[in-house]
Amino acid sequence: MNLGLRWGDVVVVMLAATLVASSFTLTYAPASGALRLVVSQAGESPRTFPLNEDRTVDIAGPAGLTRIEIHEGRARCLRSPGSQGICERAGWLERHGDMAVSLPNRLVLQLQGDGTPFDSMHF
Amino acid sequence: MSFTPGSVDRRIAALAALAMGLQLIDATIPSPVPGIKPGLANVITLVALLALGWRAAMAVTLLRIVGASLLMGTLVSPGFWLSLAGGLSALSILGILAGLYPRHLGPVGLAVAAALAHTVGQFLFAWAVIIPHPQLPWLLPPLLLAALLTGLVTGILTASVLADPRIRPYVRDRSRTPAG
Repeated sequence: MNLGLRWGDVVVVMLAATLVASSFTLTYAPASGALRLVVSQAGESPRTFPLNEDRTVDIAGPAGLTRIEIHEGRARCLRSPGSQGICERAGWLERHGDMAVSLPNRLVLQLQGDGTPFDSMHF
Repeated sequence: MSFTPGSVDRRIAALAALAMGLQLIDATIPSPVPGIKPGLANVITLVALLALGWRAAMAVTLLRIVGASLLMGTLVSPGFWLSLAGGLSALSILGILAGLYPRHLGPVGLAVAAALAHTVGQFLFAWAVIIPHPQLPWLLPPLLLAALLTGLVTGILTASVLADPRIRPYVRDRSRTPAG
């Protein structure tokens, strides 16, 4: 099939591909703002931990100890008394807005950076 | 002053009707991500542009947007304004680039440029008016990638429509190159 291609088509498609590629790199580049882990527990004021120093934190709650691991700029719920492992299964929290919850310990772990993330999107 | 429709008016009406049909088909195609659509009606916009000129392409696009949204019951809904913003952005870039056809630019380049302009215009409108959220740009890169791919597809479809012997005589061909 003759597509009637001209040099302008090559230029347009290459410019378009560059635009698409740069939109991906610019938009999804890691945020420069420092992330921090905010630990909110019912009845207590939220505690904040920086993510740039590796450590483990034990948080006591009504159901037992929740162990939080902070390692290489991310955080996770290492062990938690919940019987279904929901807090652990949230995995590594790496991005602004990532969250892990332990209901038995009345505990919410959330990463915070600059700005506010989406809660949800509706169309 | 007479209001008798001329042959160009009839062609515009026929193309607009085709474009409405394609937009309805477009709307029924399931899409994994909101905002990603094949944009089949843009084939008709391009055919109108290359066969009848920019003003005809403008007329076909406006008729298509108003007509299809009447049929879908989305007139003056957000979807209608988004459609209009995208359509006008695409027409603007086509108005700039149309002069390069067919000597320097073919239908594929026009379609890709129009598809990206459509997405960018629609996005800016959505961001400015409908969802002014600071993190909406997170949605833009996949939409742009989709626009690039659908633009390539509609460009290839347009080339095959323009190569049709029934359409061929109407297409501007200022370069006088023999049709392939």
